[in-house]
Amino acid sequence: MDPLLLARLQFATTTSIHFLFVVVTLGLVTLLVGLQTAGFVTGKPVYERLTRFWGQLYVLNYVLGIATGIVMEFQFGLNWSGLSRYVGNVFGAPLAIETLVAFFLESTFLGMWIFGWHRLRRGIHLALLWGVALTAYASAFWIMVANAWLQHPVGYEVRDGVAHLTDFGALLTNPTLGFAFGHVVSAGLVTGGMLMAAVSAAHLLRRTPDYALFRKSLRIGLITAALAVTTLQGFGFAQFGPVGKLQPTKFGGGADRDALVADWTTRFGPGDYTPPALSSVGLGFMILIGFTLGCAWFLLPLLWRDWIIRLKFPLWLVLLAVPLPFVAVILGWIAREVGRQPWVAYGLLPTGQAVSPVSPGLMLTSLIGFTLLLGTLAVTNWVLLVRHAARGAHDPALGRPPAPDADHHPHPVFA
Amino acid sequence: MELAWYALLGLFFATYLVLGGYDYGVGLLLARGATPGARRAALNAVGPFFLGNEVWLVAAVGILFGAFPTLEGELLSGLYPAVLGALAGVVLVTAGVQLRSRPRGGTARAFWDRVVVAGSVLAALGWGALLGGLLQGVPPAGDGHPAGVGHLFTPFVAAAALALLALVAVHGATFLTLRLPVADVPSVARLARGLMPAALTAVATATALGLLSDRVRAAVARPAVAVLLPLALVATLLMARAALRRGRAGLAFAATSVALALPVPLVGAALWPRVLVSTVDPAAAPQLTDAAVLTVADAAASGPTLALLGWLALPLVPALLGFQAMCWWVFRGRTDGRAPVYW
Ligand code: HDD
Ligand code: HEM
Ligand code: HEM
Repeated sequence: MDPLLLARLQFATTTSIHFLFVVVTLGLVTLLVGLQTAGFVTGKPVYERLTRFWGQLYVLNYVLGIATGIVMEFQFGLNWSGLSRYVGNVFGAPLAIETLVAFFLESTFLGMWIFGWHRLRRGIHLALLWGVALTAYASAFWIMVANAWLQHPVGYEVRDGVAHLTDFGALLTNPTLGFAFGHVVSAGLVTGGMLMAAVSAAHLLRRTPDYALFRKSLRIGLITAALAVTTLQGFGFAQFGPVGKLQPTKFGGGADRDALVADWTTRFGPGDYTPPALSSVGLGFMILIGFTLGCAWFLLPLLWRDWIIRLKFPLWLVLLAVPLPFVAVILGWIAREVGRQPWVAYGLLPTGQAVSPVSPGLMLTSLIGFTLLLGTLAVTNWVLLVRHAARGAHDPALGRPPAPDADHHPHPVFA
Repeated sequence: MELAWYALLGLFFATYLVLGGYDYGVGLLLARGATPGARRAALNAVGPFFLGNEVWLVAAVGILFGAFPTLEGELLSGLYPAVLGALAGVVLVTAGVQLRSRPRGGTARAFWDRVVVAGSVLAALGWGALLGGLLQGVPPAGDGHPAGVGHLFTPFVAAAALALLALVAVHGATFLTLRLPVADVPSVARLARGLMPAALTAVATATALGLLSDRVRAAVARPAVAVLLPLALVATLLMARAALRRGRAGLAFAATSVALALPVPLVGAALWPRVLVSTVDPAAAPQLTDAAVLTVADAAASGPTLALLGWLALPLVPALLGFQAMCWWVFRGRTDGRAPVYW
């Protein structure tokens, strides 16, 4: 088997699994910040209960974000050593910044947040969650800086066959970065909001005793999803501008493409410079899903006098729509990543030169092993998530007060 | 500049071995067949630190990629099987520890505990093999021959992997003497002392096999430093044992921490100024050619990249250390029945 194919398959599977979890992380953490802040400001117990319930689901989801993220990070060195050899000077910098600025702090804060209930002062506990959210956004930003560079390499110069960094600012103003980052963040909010609305809808359909709580989270989720779907559509269409100009081979033809292909043919030799058809197939479906989710706006008027709950069928619609954002994010990434083939770094480094000289057998072992491992973990994790969501908000493990015999005056550290 | 980054890389990886090392050590000790309550107490002792520990690995790999891109590619793909094992282990422990208490049933929990044990074994063996592999060299890069597994699996690497496994177990037990409620300390202290002979034997075996290996002798630039490593390891282990006997848990933990951190600076120093050596068949080529040696300077990113990262790291690294220290401070001391239980 061709190691190149195996490495690409492995990258595609692990990133897709990773993204299915981090897209939820990004959305939920934003909503959680809102919930816990509201609880802090108003002092209403319902917000603390909401924070614990959604926090529990968030933390469960986070587990796989970490597990798959670590595999992603190592994969660059394991399977794509050519990437680090030829473009590591430039591409490595945003990734290094990301791990130091974002992940390191994010996990440190999250550990303290999980174990800090009833132990830290409420203000500090809230600040930790803000820290988790800000670093999550920072990590998404720097990852997108790295990815945008692969889409459109800028700010470098090639000496002795190796790319060297000349202008870091150019990486940050990369035209393939801004709209894509906005689009990804909006996708996170849509996914998180839909998830929140759908879980609440399921409880309301089951005539939950926690009516007030789930009514509140249904509204929060739905409004968030509706607002975010609009920015999602905006950033989505806006992307066609830079993509069409800078990557003419991506979504179809035109004179630009022919000129670019002719230029590559003289510089890199003849070859097939059109990406697989797969890239544009999914795009249409994603846009369709985008418009379908836009219908969330039609549900908003039904929030008046709780018609949405009384009529019931809108709750079913919300519930049935849950898979849509997940399908759309994968389709979107396939469009973006497969569309830049046959390049790892567009117009600079062909994918074939980036793959590590590792025996196919070893690479196959790694592909099958990690696909099975992460796939099993992902499914198990989803089962646990569904069970926890179904269990309701009476007593999540997260933030449970210490054992019943505990003293009733916990001594806050930092008092 | 390269040296500073090399030192920072070493610092992050060594700290990971110390902090992640007790995660895996505690994970290993779940295999003891203790009661469910005792297992939960052990994991709870790690509790708030768990997420903050493994990010040292994530950050180390980030530094590796940002500051030493060439090394990253050559090292990880050159020692592929070791990295795969370690990575699978890290993933299993990460998922197992955090998910074990989410199902309510006892059988599911026991299953996840086995996942944690298996993950801890894999992670310890994998990192041990990686350190051993560094001392023994990797297959030659860029000559078109893809690397298989045979190159890595030698008696020396196996012994190094087992030695790290034993060290991690001792370290985990020692960590528990520091964190568990006072009443539970004597039994874990006994366990830690009981594991000492195994650790000492493993270190001795790895040393002997290393001295016998042609490839290790060819790769190591400073044999004196390389010999210092096992001696220092034995000294710290003996110190930990004495401290445990006197009930000085803090001192014992400091000693085992040093034992886990030491391999990183000493392997780095033994190879210096090289980082990675390609060993093919040392009998055929006793003299290493330049092409077979990757020095720290070759491996580093070019000037502008290092400068950029340097300006960033200057304020950042103290902040990172500060927040980690805050975590240790907030959750310092022994756990008791009242500590929040989440894992
Ligand atoms: C909830 C998920 C979701 C939904 C409903 C949509 N997208 Fe999207 N789309 C993504 C989630 C996403 C994504 C996964 O986040 C991608 C992958 C890369 C990126 O930047 O965002 C993406 C990529 C992506 C790209 C590829 C950019 C490139 O190749 O560089 C385009 C052109 C669009 N989107 C456009 C749209 C339009 C016009 C939409 C409908 C109105 C739409 N997307 C809905
Ligand atoms: C393909 C390259 C990617 C790499 C190398 C990567 C790497 C990682 C790593 C190592 C972690 C674990 C950090 C920890 O231990 O806390 C992680 C988690 C995370 N990643 Fe990625 N990631 C990639 C893609 C993405 C993308 C595209 C996004 C979002 C736009 C993203 C967002 C996140 C977030 C928010 C987390 C935090 C943990 C979680 O949310 O569950 N990552 N990633
Ligand atoms: C999280 C969302 C992402 C998904 C679902 C995704 C998906 C994919 C897919 C499907 C491929 C295979 C392309 C092919 O074989 O035709 C691929 C390749 C790749 N992607 Fe991504 N990607 C994501 C984010 C990223 C990011 C953020 C980066 C960089 C920081 C990145 C870097 C790469 C690299 C280096 C390859 C391998 C070389 C190649 O085949 O082009 N990806 N990805």
